[in-house]
Amino acid sequence: MKRKLIMIAILVVSLAAVAFKIDQQPKPWPVPDKNAKAVNPVKSNKESIAAGKTLWSTHCSSCHGKTGLGDGNKAAQLKTQPADFSKASFQSQSDGSIYYKISEGRDDMPSFKKKIPEQEDIWDLVVFVRTLKK
Amino acid sequence: MHFSSKYFRAYLVLFTVSLLAASDLMAQDSTAPAATVVKKKSYTRNTFEGNYIIDNQSVMVPIKGTFEFDINHRFGIMSNNFTDLFGLFALANMRLGFDYTPIKDLQIGFGAGNYNMLVDWNAKYALLKQTRNNSMPVSVTLYGDVAMDTRAKNSSIPIVNTSDRFSYFSQILIARKFTEALSLQAGIALTHFNNIPGFLNANNDIVQELKNDNLTASFSGRYKISPKTSIIFSVDQPLTQNPMNNPHPNISFGLDMRSSGHDFQVFVGNYGYTLPEFNTVYNQNDFTKGQFLIGFNISRLWNF
Repeated sequence: MKRKLIMIAILVVSLAAVAFKIDQQPKPWPVPDKNAKAVNPVKSNKESIAAGKTLWSTHCSSCHGKTGLGDGNKAAQLKTQPADFSKASFQSQSDGSIYYKISEGRDDMPSFKKKIPEQEDIWDLVVFVRTLKK
Repeated sequence: MHFSSKYFRAYLVLFTVSLLAASDLMAQDSTAPAATVVKKKSYTRNTFEGNYIIDNQSVMVPIKGTFEFDINHRFGIMSNNFTDLFGLFALANMRLGFDYTPIKDLQIGFGAGNYNMLVDWNAKYALLKQTRNNSMPVSVTLYGDVAMDTRAKNSSIPIVNTSDRFSYFSQILIARKFTEALSLQAGIALTHFNNIPGFLNANNDIVQELKNDNLTASFSGRYKISPKTSIIFSVDQPLTQNPMNNPHPNISFGLDMRSSGHDFQVFVGNYGYTLPEFNTVYNQNDFTKGQFLIGFNISRLWNF
């Protein structure tokens, strides 16, 4: 009987986990091919990482967290849970895709093409975002 | 019904699969290089965090399309200690400002404050910008404002003609970002008041207390202590010798905290007005007597 209860509990937890995750699944964010294939012209080096980090601290960390885990102090107020940038699921995107998403924005994620008008600055940010991979 | 170990294993498998499904397993293509043209930018980034360095303007002109709302607040001097809680409950000077950058490197704005019901119009233009390769080692910016005393005319206010209401401030600012953390700025300002307080001497001649034109030198800086927080300071030295009531210099220092949409500064200094022409000509707070006050600047920025 005890075992039966444990198994029912496991089943309920499993289904709840799946159901919750289905609800939390990020909405697909299609990136036009042209943008996704864009190559980052900025080399990853001390300067570009530092420049990207400054931009990250100013514009991104309040939602995405200091280390990109999606745990910034504003994250809880958002309708969409910011993605965990340390994971392969995020990092497997192309540089061009990340650039496109920063530039265009969607829903809770604002468009930064006006706030960060220089292309090079956004590419610096992409370079920094790559350093968040674990 | 009896649950065998076979069923138990099946449930464990289901549980594991569920957890796997719950983890992010997104994968996207990161192949196919393509040529990307990036306009090479050569200007130094963020010499300062925003428009203000305490009571001075910085050389920074916001990005084209930026609309900024400012709240400038100066409390009373702190030397009364608990009587007015170090000036926090004393009479305060406040100004609300609105700025917009309609074209690259030019900002225009207006504001209104409680002191003398002053309304001001201002413009700031980035004449030269420091480049990363040092072909231009400094940034040079021009700033100017016109302020109007809008109080209703009465016998206690020295306003006869409309022109008596106006004062002008113009400044040239030169700055250099030395390192990612350290930026310094120097400036020379000319202030002009159409109307200056005066009195009649024994010969019935009108004697002005101050000159109509005053020159002031300023020296300001920023040192970043974290990506979003900086220590800021500003020192202003009047250069013009006036007949009486010479303005006192200003020594101020504080913290600047910047985020994507805000710039917040809190500081201690001697200047108690919210417009530079009044600070540079009428400041009577003397740092040698410990006449410092607390102030803050809050800026909210929107990009259109």
